[in-house]
Amino acid sequence: MRRRIKSLQLRLSIELAALFLVASCLAIGGLIYGASLTAGSLANRELGLRVEDLVSHVSLDQAGRPRLELPPGLRQAYDTAAQQSVFAILDKDGRLVEASTPELGAMIGRSPPADTEPSYFQLSHFGPLGQNYSGVGMRLDSAAGPLSLMVAQVSGGDQLVHSILREFVFDTAWYVPPFVALALLLATYSVRRSLRPLRTASAQATDIGPGSISIRLPEADVPTEALPLVIAVNRALDRLEQGFTIQRRFTANAAHELRTPLTIITARLDSLEGNGEVSALREEVARMNRLVEQLLCVARLDSVVLDVSAPVDLRQIAEEVVGSMAHLALASSRSIALTGAEHPVRITGNAEAIADALRNLVENALAHTRPETEVIVEVGSEGVLSVLDSGPGIPLNDRPRIFDRFWRGKGARSEGAGLGLAIVMEIVRAHGASIAVSDRTPCGARLDLRFRPA
Amino acid sequence: MRLLVIEDEDRLSGILKSKLGDVGFTVDIASSTLDANAALELINYDAAVLDLGLPDGDGLAVLAAARRIGKALPILILTARDAVEDRVAGLNAGADDYLTKPFAMSELIARINALLRRPGGVLGIKLEAGNVRLDTVGRELTVAGTPVRLSRRELAILEQMMRRFGRIVPKTVLEEKLYGIDEEPDSNPIPVHVHHLRRQLEAANASLAIHTIRGVGYILAETRL
Repeated sequence: MRRRIKSLQLRLSIELAALFLVASCLAIGGLIYGASLTAGSLANRELGLRVEDLVSHVSLDQAGRPRLELPPGLRQAYDTAAQQSVFAILDKDGRLVEASTPELGAMIGRSPPADTEPSYFQLSHFGPLGQNYSGVGMRLDSAAGPLSLMVAQVSGGDQLVHSILREFVFDTAWYVPPFVALALLLATYSVRRSLRPLRTASAQATDIGPGSISIRLPEADVPTEALPLVIAVNRALDRLEQGFTIQRRFTANAAHELRTPLTIITARLDSLEGNGEVSALREEVARMNRLVEQLLCVARLDSVVLDVSAPVDLRQIAEEVVGSMAHLALASSRSIALTGAEHPVRITGNAEAIADALRNLVENALAHTRPETEVIVEVGSEGVLSVLDSGPGIPLNDRPRIFDRFWRGKGARSEGAGLGLAIVMEIVRAHGASIAVSDRTPCGARLDLRFRPA
Repeated sequence: MRLLVIEDEDRLSGILKSKLGDVGFTVDIASSTLDANAALELINYDAAVLDLGLPDGDGLAVLAAARRIGKALPILILTARDAVEDRVAGLNAGADDYLTKPFAMSELIARINALLRRPGGVLGIKLEAGNVRLDTVGRELTVAGTPVRLSRRELAILEQMMRRFGRIVPKTVLEEKLYGIDEEPDSNPIPVHVHHLRRQLEAANASLAIHTIRGVGYILAETRL
């Protein structure tokens, strides 16, 4: 699998670096090629001059045959043992006029240059010394009639090229790497700068949450290329916000539509004289009230993401819940108590939802214990809310399922719809909290809601 | 005692009128914000029950209008909305209590009575629960018609509990109320006073009992027969 580089900045930088590298290689290569061409033509020009020079020293002897008469200085130059420069001359009849080295004489005899245009050639491991030569062969007119010549020189022209290149590298080419580095630095900086509005937008995006869905990403200063994305994200947020609003309104309306008739039924039943049937009906309506409340709570939790970002005090929540449920406990001949931390226990969350969860746990505990027992709410200073009862406890087999919607234990009485603990679980999840079920000794269950510390 | 019930649902307002009438209130019904504003301006009601969803506007506007013209009567909001924001908005706008539908009629009556019992409320002077009567001004307590003598602290504690009859009285509230009741340095903590009070109520055969909610406070409730 090919790994793709995700960072736009890194990608641009790498590609720019590659571009600069190729460009500078091309530039340097071009310069070197140009320099070597120049050096080559200089060498060819020198060979040409030698040819003319040699020809100018050819004259006819008394027998009317071409003869080479070199000035002593020049003769010495051609005759050195080093064989730096070699030549061979043929007359128009193919006879050798003179050759500074027999090998070249043999060569010109085999293939005499027949063209007046110079033809250049290379010789390797040539002559008695086995040196490399570059040379030229051509036919041209002289005072002694048409002649064919070959002149070759040890390939020392390379030295010229090398010296030119050395000069070029030292005088000119050194500034290419720093220039490339500087250009790269500038490019990186400008890429960084043009991406800054995107980083600002990202920072803004992290603030968007269920409680702050009206925040939009800033569209000003965003690069044109990224603007469509930012705009599209903002439009998507618009639609989400709209959806949220509709859902909220629906839940509120459903609550209203269900609750008003229930209130009327409750009140009507209250005014009927109580025989057995009526009190049974009252109990049913009370159950239905409770069920509607729980269904609304579930609907609310499903449709609206809880805002769990407010600072809350678990001790205060526990105090309110225990206080508000005390009459319920007393009415069912049970007692309720608050223990644990006496100081505020601060976490971040949603006070209303946590109170809902705790209320459900307490209701559950009250429903599953015998009269004359005590339900204890305990506040742990590390952000733990616990509900302890003295009931039969929760069987190990049931523990994974008690938080499922509409799940009810085997021995459960018919009051509950099995939504209470599901609601607790939703709220726990929304807070990133955890819930643990354990046994108490000698009997009873203990449920711990462990919240993340603020 | 005259109440204004502001509620647009005819069936519900009918029931409220008859139920509240049964316990001795005179009830007027207003079914729109216009009616409600007019009624509140004309008549000095002792308390009002206000539904927030009205056909011609928001009940909170009625509340604000009443407060603007200087009506200080206790107002209890009755609504099917239970979102926290709604509750906070209602209480911030000057409501005295908040009850969500569906509610039990007995709860509504208890809440109205509690509002009327508040200091400055119509029932603020004489508190009554079960066979216990407390005159908060004369500091006289009778249980089943027989006068009972209590210390000032015990009377103050009982008064707080009777004002919130059936509901929790947090220990912190009692501490606040007792603080500075007189300058004598008092080493007895609240549980000791409550203990004495409980014994005296029992001794006088009161039909009320003080329940301790460990860690939170106390509840005064009627003893079961």
